[in-house]
Amino acid sequence: MNSLLARLGRGLLGGYSLAFFIFLYLPIALIVVYSFNSNPINMMIWNGASLDWYRSLFGLSNSLGSSKMYVESSDQLLAALRTSLTIALSTTAISTVAGTFMALALARYRFRLQGFYRVLMFMPMLMPDIVLGIALLIFFVGIGMPLGKASIIIGHCTFLISYVFLVVSARLAGMDTRLEEASADLGASPMHTFRRITLPLILPGVIGGALLAFIISMDDLVITYFISGVDSTTLPVYIYGMIRRGIKPEINAIATLLLIASFIIAAVGLYLRSRQPATTKEDTHG
Amino acid sequence: MSTLEGRKRLQLLGLLSPATFVIGLFFIAPLVIMATYSMLEPGLYGGVEWNFYPDNFGRVLGWADGTLEEFDPVYLEIILRSFKLAAITVFLTLLVCYPAAFWVARQPEKMRNFCMFLITLPFFTSLIIRLYAWVLILRPSGFINTTLLALGINTPINLIYTETAVLIGMTYIFIPFMFMPVYASVEKLDRRLLEASADLGASRWQSFWKIIFPMTLPGVAAGSIIVFIPSLGNFIVPSLLGGAQVLMIGSLVEQQFLAARNWPFGAALAMLLMVAVLICLILNVLAQNRNKAGVS
Repeated sequence: MNSLLARLGRGLLGGYSLAFFIFLYLPIALIVVYSFNSNPINMMIWNGASLDWYRSLFGLSNSLGSSKMYVESSDQLLAALRTSLTIALSTTAISTVAGTFMALALARYRFRLQGFYRVLMFMPMLMPDIVLGIALLIFFVGIGMPLGKASIIIGHCTFLISYVFLVVSARLAGMDTRLEEASADLGASPMHTFRRITLPLILPGVIGGALLAFIISMDDLVITYFISGVDSTTLPVYIYGMIRRGIKPEINAIATLLLIASFIIAAVGLYLRSRQPATTKEDTHG
Repeated sequence: MSTLEGRKRLQLLGLLSPATFVIGLFFIAPLVIMATYSMLEPGLYGGVEWNFYPDNFGRVLGWADGTLEEFDPVYLEIILRSFKLAAITVFLTLLVCYPAAFWVARQPEKMRNFCMFLITLPFFTSLIIRLYAWVLILRPSGFINTTLLALGINTPINLIYTETAVLIGMTYIFIPFMFMPVYASVEKLDRRLLEASADLGASRWQSFWKIIFPMTLPGVAAGSIIVFIPSLGNFIVPSLLGGAQVLMIGSLVEQQFLAARNWPFGAALAMLLMVAVLICLILNVLAQNRNKAGVS
């Protein structure tokens, strides 16, 4: 009786978890499916597969003939993608350096303001996006700085430094400090020790932090929304605007392409992370 | 020796300065300016007059006497609604994630890693696209109503632009935030405690509430706080799934900055949001400390 009850409970738990994963992925799957639906009138009713919406994204002709497509212009979309990439790459470079430096300072030096810095580095992550967004808006307008790519890059760095800091700090905390001591004892200069010992060991953390910064910067909507100018629309802001103007089948196609891109990045990132312990061992032996 | 000390100090300075510069100038300074703005008089065309003006807060909290601004309870209503929706979101994410965390923790290693991958993946995919999916599902001619129609049920249900829609959207996007800390605490559970509790004659129900649940409480608390904070200040979910019907504090702030152009009032609302978040964090830290004290 008891074991039957236990088995029933386990079955229920399994069913519940299956429902959990369906809930997680069904909405995303719907977008992908509908992006291939050729029905131009009601995208919810399946009318055969086609690549029309993808063709129209890139300004190619499609089975709907010369009828004007819904996307304003594929140039705008590509421009938004370019803007997003420019911003994300610059942001990633700056916040990776600044965040890694800060993590090294807090982990390897003793100084008076240590406690203060620890709290300070957490604050940007805990601040609601919208508060940071409007604070930056007031600030940039106040100092007379035009809103554009530069203001967005600065805005993203303010909170992404914290993310990189956190990831690299976790890596530093799990590191064997005796390796650095041994290197110093054997007469290596601090710079040499850093280049040959510390950097290779924390590199997976640095790469992980950079990847995280890149993804969050590419995806940020709220802060960017407040501090972007007319000529600096990023991809998420552009898509947000499209959705608010009305649902069109091309959005499904854009969304599917973006989903594929982020799945690839995530898979690579998670794969790298799963390999981390192995690489560390090799590094310490080599 | 002193040169070595000096060089170390220089290194430290070099390591600290980039982040200090960016965070000090572009994070702390803007927040200080925002706090100042919240107490200034709104100018005619979206600017500010440099006069002390407590009525920005008075309009919301009740001391505006009507000479300059009216107290309007609608703002308090919206703030209360934000708290309510954020609290329900925490509860719903917990309800969804807690049992699933137990199931995942029991799987063999390969399956477990795959599940973790599936749960982390949405975190890497665009937020706006995950919300867009729910617009497709919930809107009047969306997936649910089309499916109902196909099944012969010709009574479309109105789902989008309701509190339910906002709750579904927020729960959906914050699931990974809740799952990770809860899973971490479930994975650490010591099975021997359960066996001991069963040996001593406790029922499964008793074991759960007396042993398992208290031990996962730190994970639940951490998950709750990291879901609650972004839910409270959210404006993207209410703007896409709540429309003009379901406003939250975030929507109010956005309106003041981009439509009404009353920046001091918007800054005051943002200050209230920030204070609310700070109070939550302090309460969380206090609760953690008490927990630790209780254990030791």
